Amino acid sequence: MGEEKVVEAKPAVPMILRLRIERYRGLESFNWLPDPHVNVIIGGGDNGKTTILDAVGLLLSPANSVVISDADYWKRAPEGEFIIEAVLKLPPDTGINEQKKPSWPWEWDGNKPVVPNPDDEETDRKEEVYVVRVRGTPDCDLAYEICQPNGEFDHFSVSVRRKIGLVKLGGDDRNDRDLRLIQGSALDRLLSDKSLRAKLAKEIGEKNVEEKLGDSSKKKLSDLDTQFGKQALPINLGLGLVGGQGFSLNALIGLTAEKHDVRLPLSSWGSGTRRLAALEIASSNQNEQPITIVDEVERGLEPYRQRVLVKELMAAPTQAFITTHSVAAIKAATSASIWYLSGERKIGKLADATSPHMMKDPEAFLSRIAIVAEGATEVGFVKFLILKAVSSTPLEYGIWVTDGGGNDPTLQLLESLAKSGLKFSGFADDEGRAPERWATLKTALGGLLLRWPKGCLEENVIEHVADNDLEKFIADPDGDSGERLRTLALRLKIEEKSYAAILAAAGSPENVRKLIIAAATGSVPAGTPEDQKKALKSHGKTWFKTVGGGFELGSKMLAFGIWPTLEGQLLPFVNAIRQSVDLPVIAELPDE
Amino acid sequence: MSDESVAAALRSGASLVVIEAPGGCGKTHQGAQYAADAAEIIESRILILTHTHAACDVFAARTASSRTRVEIRTLDSLIGQIASAYHGRLDLPADVSAWSRTNEDGYNRVAIKVAHLLDKKPLIASALARRYPLIICDEHQDATAAQDQIILALHKAGVYLRIFADPMQRIFGGRNATAIAAEIKRWTDLKEQANEFEELDTPHRWANTNPALGAWVLTARATLRDGGQVDLRGALPNGLRVIRADNVARAPGQYQLAAQHRTPLTQLMRPLNSVLVVAAHNTTVSSLRAFFNRSIPIWEGHTREALDGLCNGLRIHNGNPLEIGKIAVDFVSGVATGFSPTGYSRLLLDEIEQGCTKRRTKKPAILQSLGRIILEQPDHQGVGRFLATLRALTKDDEAFAAIKIDHSREYNDAIQLGRYASPDEGLAEIARRRAHSRAAIPSKAVSTIHKAKGLEFPHVVVAACDRQHFSDTKAARAKLYVALSRATESLTLLVSHTHPTPLLHI
Repeated sequence: MGEEKVVEAKPAVPMILRLRIERYRGLESFNWLPDPHVNVIIGGGDNGKTTILDAVGLLLSPANSVVISDADYWKRAPEGEFIIEAVLKLPPDTGINEQKKPSWPWEWDGNKPVVPNPDDEETDRKEEVYVVRVRGTPDCDLAYEICQPNGEFDHFSVSVRRKIGLVKLGGDDRNDRDLRLIQGSALDRLLSDKSLRAKLAKEIGEKNVEEKLGDSSKKKLSDLDTQFGKQALPINLGLGLVGGQGFSLNALIGLTAEKHDVRLPLSSWGSGTRRLAALEIASSNQNEQPITIVDEVERGLEPYRQRVLVKELMAAPTQAFITTHSVAAIKAATSASIWYLSGERKIGKLADATSPHMMKDPEAFLSRIAIVAEGATEVGFVKFLILKAVSSTPLEYGIWVTDGGGNDPTLQLLESLAKSGLKFSGFADDEGRAPERWATLKTALGGLLLRWPKGCLEENVIEHVADNDLEKFIADPDGDSGERLRTLALRLKIEEKSYAAILAAAGSPENVRKLIIAAATGSVPAGTPEDQKKALKSHGKTWFKTVGGGFELGSKMLAFGIWPTLEGQLLPFVNAIRQSVDLPVIAELPDE
Repeated sequence: MSDESVAAALRSGASLVVIEAPGGCGKTHQGAQYAADAAEIIESRILILTHTHAACDVFAARTASSRTRVEIRTLDSLIGQIASAYHGRLDLPADVSAWSRTNEDGYNRVAIKVAHLLDKKPLIASALARRYPLIICDEHQDATAAQDQIILALHKAGVYLRIFADPMQRIFGGRNATAIAAEIKRWTDLKEQANEFEELDTPHRWANTNPALGAWVLTARATLRDGGQVDLRGALPNGLRVIRADNVARAPGQYQLAAQHRTPLTQLMRPLNSVLVVAAHNTTVSSLRAFFNRSIPIWEGHTREALDGLCNGLRIHNGNPLEIGKIAVDFVSGVATGFSPTGYSRLLLDEIEQGCTKRRTKKPAILQSLGRIILEQPDHQGVGRFLATLRALTKDDEAFAAIKIDHSREYNDAIQLGRYASPDEGLAEIARRRAHSRAAIPSKAVSTIHKAKGLEFPHVVVAACDRQHFSDTKAARAKLYVALSRATESLTLLVSHTHPTPLLHI
């Protein structure tokens, strides 16, 4: 994608180069090198996607008043402390170098921060980075720290955090802080009028609220005043707006807009509009290049507005972290890096090889387990197997079967998925190519990868059809044999298309079986004239080379009693799929 | 070249401004005023780097109104801070300042490491440059090569530099000609590199006391700088006196005048309430203390070389009575006169070596008891007790009266060391206290020219203006200038008849 070049051309923006999380909520130990621009995190529910975003949000929180509880600690054990640490690239205007105590830079070696070594041999200039962290202490307090190269820690001040800027479109419906004048919010940073609070407090303080009281209430207040006097307490009581600790007048001030001639708080609009508005406020502040986090980009937004939001994030030079379960959002995230967070809390980047597939079948990446089947036949066959041996409602289990688009593309796709840590399964033929790569893949996927030891799916099934069953096997699900018999007759170069004639011409059931395999796989015998090749090749479609055909092949495997001979290979595959969706292993195919 | 042109140069947009600032010409005033003005305009910190804590205090007093913006510290403390941040890569322990203090040439070795670090890792210099976009360097002539390199690395990273230096106040110490030539080249290179170069030339220090003397000092400075001979013939400004006097002491390093030469000096000094007598060499200063019948104390300055040496030795030889004894002897010899090998120290060391067991009487018995202190406790506490006992003896016992403690503060510091858990801890604490409770300068003092740097006295006597103390070298020229420029009202030169210094023309 040529990311490096893109980044260089853009202005310096704050950027997380590495995120390390220890014992924060469900993440015991997590290490991630996100990309400089838009990072889309996908993965199953409860895998910890939101936790990652919340961790970034907490680390860069523009407020000091965040409250945490024991639920924010791994296994609810605060005594173990949690740490959220980031290696940051920080532009000078974040003020990182102007803190009370100096913050000392580290060097970024591409994977980790290193203490600059004046005696190292390398001459190329490495990136200047800073290491910051927030630590949840055993007392459920937060300690914001800058990690210095000598192992000491200094305070990571809220002022630097504010200057880094954070725009957070959380999953929480009530969260509209960026639409309010809360200290450090996007709106506060944009308007940045430091004197407003004082002016308001004065003006509101002068209002005599008690005058608005009803008569009986006024009386009660005046009685209280008398009582106060008797007890030598302060007298001349009144009511006014008073601030207090942890209570800010500004927090009550939010953005409003007119609708049908009524001024309404923006927070009363739908969550989608509120999120777009918050993002707009942040992006109209030219002074900052905030790190943006968006939990569930699809929340409250129709697909078209999801696309708008994702496009906007991609157009900005800033770094963003997004989670989504939306096909539309993933399809729109053309220049983003897509990451998969597995149930084992491992995060992996979907390599470029997966991108075309992602565009074609994004749902494969949003399912609990996706099975990449080599072609249409395999897709149909696997679908049948799943229905029969795993669940009659595979979609509810998050099982998705996707077409790998041929043997070689399937290999490539599976390889890059394996690298990302995604849980995937494969179903493919052995076409004799790239044996080492397939072997490596087998080691990684284990039972989740099924490859026929020899030949293709059709061969492996059809060669076990009993002689007596051949005629019935040829018939399609509607009981029609004509088309298929025609392909056999054509290959035998006979006019008559009855099974008897074909058997006679072929000479033996064994030869008929071979003939069926040839037709079903669309093979073209040597010496076939050029103008007939295409016709022969197309025979496959007449047989099983469609999703429906693959499904038919699967059901025939059962109907004609072939299962027992293939069980040794198919049952481990089925069980691997079952295990991946937390179903128990089976010893034999369940009855209907 | 004027106060105005200097002020303008400082306030120009030039990234490197160098000001040649002879002592007494308002350098601190210019620097502090500029820092205060700049603090009004720019939002970032302004850093003033000095070489001494005393200079820090002076700047702090003059920039008090802009304290939040102006940071004042010694160059060594900045270097120490950088070194602490990256100590692992520099083969230094976490407590770099303790290491600098307790290792020979420690500060300079740290500076060399940091200069190398900043050179190889410009990102560190860049981070510092953003923290301190404007740095004012005071007394930059005192910067070592490594310190200079560090300042220039910061400049390269974008720091705007305002450098004040008086190259004529460099103390070259005992360095060889090549080193001195390199020092001089450093200054010329810096001048050439500067976008603006200015010189302060108004002798403010003398404005209210003796303007004519001030003008003469500046002229003498130019003459010494340019390789000439300061002409003492003809009319001299009011307050400048020359007394012809030869050193008649026989022992090397001693200073003594014949009675007839001494009289005019005595007459001159008698009415003065405040006077500083300076000489080029350490031994001459000790000798001058005796010369004035120990009535004038030696100004010990803000450094304690003998104490540093004592501490080093104590750390290395802790527990070894003989070695500890030798170190104690070295220390006493360094800060006192009369503690001779024949009279005291050889006997003392012999006693320690033999276990202090032989039967002794009188003075040898007392020496044996001194030795026993060290034998029983061969560490800093034993040495502290030994020193305290010896000091008492010099006052109470006739047999020890010949020992005269010249550097009484340093001697006292060494006794104090014994009160701490370790010598290093004691040294750090004593140094810290000394830096904070800046010792008052006595109204009368004898001092080496080196330690007199930065001092101002109404009346100054420069002793031993002879060839031995001031030959014709760059170092001697600088030294003579420093001596001459200490006086604000009167300056008296004791010039030899027989071996006059070639720097003066009589």
